[in-house]
Parts: sequence; structure tokens; C-alpha cells
Amino acid sequence: MAKHSAKEHDTELLVAVAAGSRRALEELYLGYHRRLARFLSRFTPRYENVEEIINDTFMIVWQSAKDFRYASQVSTWIIGIAYRTALKSLRRQKNHSSARSLDELPEQTIDPTGDTEVQDWLMHGLNQLPMEQRLTLELAYHMGHSLEEIAAITECPVGTVKARMFHAREKLRMYLPSLGGAASEWTARGG
Amino acid sequence: MKDLPGTGAPVHPDISALIPWYVNGSIGERERRRVDAHLAQCAHCRDELTREQWVYRSMTAETAVEYMPSVSLNRLQARLDGIGVAQPEPAEEGESADTAAKPRRLSMPWQGLMAASVAVMAVALSLLAAERWQQYRARAAAPPDYHTVTISEPRAPGEAIRAVFSPTVTLGELQSILDEAQLRIVSGPTEAGVYSLAAKSRRPMSSSLALLRSHAQVRFAESTTSAPSEPFATP
Repeated sequence: MAKHSAKEHDTELLVAVAAGSRRALEELYLGYHRRLARFLSRFTPRYENVEEIINDTFMIVWQSAKDFRYASQVSTWIIGIAYRTALKSLRRQKNHSSARSLDELPEQTIDPTGDTEVQDWLMHGLNQLPMEQRLTLELAYHMGHSLEEIAAITECPVGTVKARMFHAREKLRMYLPSLGGAASEWTARGG
Repeated sequence: MKDLPGTGAPVHPDISALIPWYVNGSIGERERRRVDAHLAQCAHCRDELTREQWVYRSMTAETAVEYMPSVSLNRLQARLDGIGVAQPEPAEEGESADTAAKPRRLSMPWQGLMAASVAVMAVALSLLAAERWQQYRARAAAPPDYHTVTISEPRAPGEAIRAVFSPTVTLGELQSILDEAQLRIVSGPTEAGVYSLAAKSRRPMSSSLALLRSHAQVRFAESTTSAPSEPFATP
């Protein structure tokens, strides 16, 4: 029997989900849970929030599978739903916190001499980015999506994705002024 | 603010815009060759590439955290059971998605409508009651997906056990102990070697706890509930 690609398998599962198969939904859920949980846990440390976003995503998958047009990949569609669900949820969470913008941050005094400090510093810088810019960067770097895939996932023109990526990198560059040195050392060590 | 390599404004914005996709490997072949050719002669863009590769690798670094999706899936299933009452049951095998999606058109004499509506209401009420009961059961049965050892009570309703096994215990022995006690691992081991265990049958937790405590390979076992509803049968 010819081995199906992951893409074909996802399509078969979604067809079955559209026909009402709970078993297919379960398989799809288990297939995507790890990837989504790791992605979402970069934004929220609480697993309850991660679970809520994933389950909300798959509720929509269950209810909308019959409307999927197969113009894009199933994975792009599912991650797109997760993206919008996450954006909504994270904005709600952010309203409850007093996050500051990059412009309001004081001059950095941290010396990123160790890997952990630099990693923490980077994470702090990422946390300061506007949510759309952060998500674009995470979709590209953490998830490995292409420019066109991110445009499909976020339902934005390619130009918007390019602009978000540009501004995200620009702000990180301003926030992490000495990363050039840290990066060189890190790269030289083969990290 | 120092202007260190790779942190200044891009000198070649068109190449700079391609670098993220070059770094994550999703760039097209033609553009990749263009970036390669440019990098060979531009030290500034090479610095920018180095910096961007560092950010990329930092963001793709594997974490040690693993999630167990089964409990989350159970909660999703319970939610789906809930909407099953409000929506027509999806098609089974042999029935197309189209027919499942569209409501069936029924022709019925109007004289029967009154009696039928009463019957439908009765069925709906019974389904609603059944659904509520299922939701209640699912919530009650669902074990917490995790809890920390520093918190004395589990996050969700449901009892769990924290246990530490002997360092010499083999995987087979551990599985045998868990099978005997009708328990399953929810999370762990932590750095301190603590496992969180949940029931996988209706066996009382006090009984499972007593069995664990009686086992030579179990160094420590306690319930996560601070005020157990029944006394433990400690050996």
C-alpha cells in the first residue's frame, strides 16, 4: 500500500470530520496537539490557556470542516484558526495586564554574558512586541512557515506580513543592541 | 546604545527582507541564490544574517515540557457532546457530508404538528437532561492534567496521588505497581522524582494509596487532597 503523505492524511481526516467522524477529529487533534501546545506555550505559561485555545480551535474545526474549500493545506487552515483564536485570547489576557510598549522601556542595563541571560532577554524582547508582529515572527521562526503560508494563516496580504516581520525585527534590533556580539560568540561555539 | 555588528539599520533593505526566509529555509531557490551571491560580498549583511540565525535558533530551541493531550481531548469531547443536542447528529458511514449538513425536509399533515411538537419537546428535554448528566460525569471523572508539588490541592476536581519510587525500580515493575493499584501517570517525574498519579478505574483512591504504601519499591505516597473524604488505610 502506498504510503500517504501527512498532507494527504490530514485531508482524509478532515473529509471524515466533515462527515461527522469524531474518531477522525480525535486523530487530527492528537496529531496537532504537540505542535500547537509548544507554539502557544511561548505566549502563555498557563496550560489552561493553551488548552482552551487548542480546544476552541478544534471546536471550530468540527463545526466548519464541511465549509473547508481545500484551496489551502489543511495544516494552514487549522493553524490559521488557532492563530485567530490565540490572538483573541491573548488580547483578552493582555487587557488584564499592564504590558508596556518598547518605547516606554528604560535603557537596558542587563549584560547578556551567559546563554540563559541572553535567552531570557530575547524572550523579554519578544514579549514586548505587538501581538501581530510577535505571532508573525513566531510563525516564521518557531513554526518554520514561509512568507506565503503566514499570509494564508493570518489572512493578510503578503505585504502586511513583510511589514510585520520588518517592524518586529527592527524593534528586536533596538531592544537587543548587543546581541550581535552574543550571537557571534554563540555561533562560534556551534550553538 | 552601541552599534554592534548586525544591530545597525539594514544597509540593503531588499536583502534584509529576505533574510528571515533564508534563515528558516522557506525561501525560493532563485532568491536563495540571490542572497548567497550578495552575502559573499557584503560583510554587513553577513553580520545581520549571524544575528538573525541566533534569534532563529533561540526560538526553535526544544523545551523540556511535554503535554499530555488525553485529558484536554476528554474535555473537548465533553464540549462536543454538549453541542450534539443542539445540532443534528452528524452522518454515519454511507451518508454523504452534504446530506448530513442539510436539514431533512419532512412533510407532515398539520394536524399532527401539535402532537409531534409535544413529542419533540419531550425528547429535547430528555436529551438535555442526559447531556447535562454527561457533562457532569465528564467533569467529575476528568483528572487534573497536571499540578505542581508546591500546591497542596489539585487544580481541578478529582483526587490524585503523588508518589516517589525507589531509584532501582524498573519500568516493568513500575507498570506492574500502577496496574495493580489501578493508577496511571499524569505527570512526572519531577526533578525530585515525584510522579503524579490518577485513578484509571473506580477503585477508591484510598485503596490505591494503601497498596502503594505497602509496596517496597514505593518510597513515598500521599493523596493530593488535604482533607480526604475517607481515612487512609495506612499499613
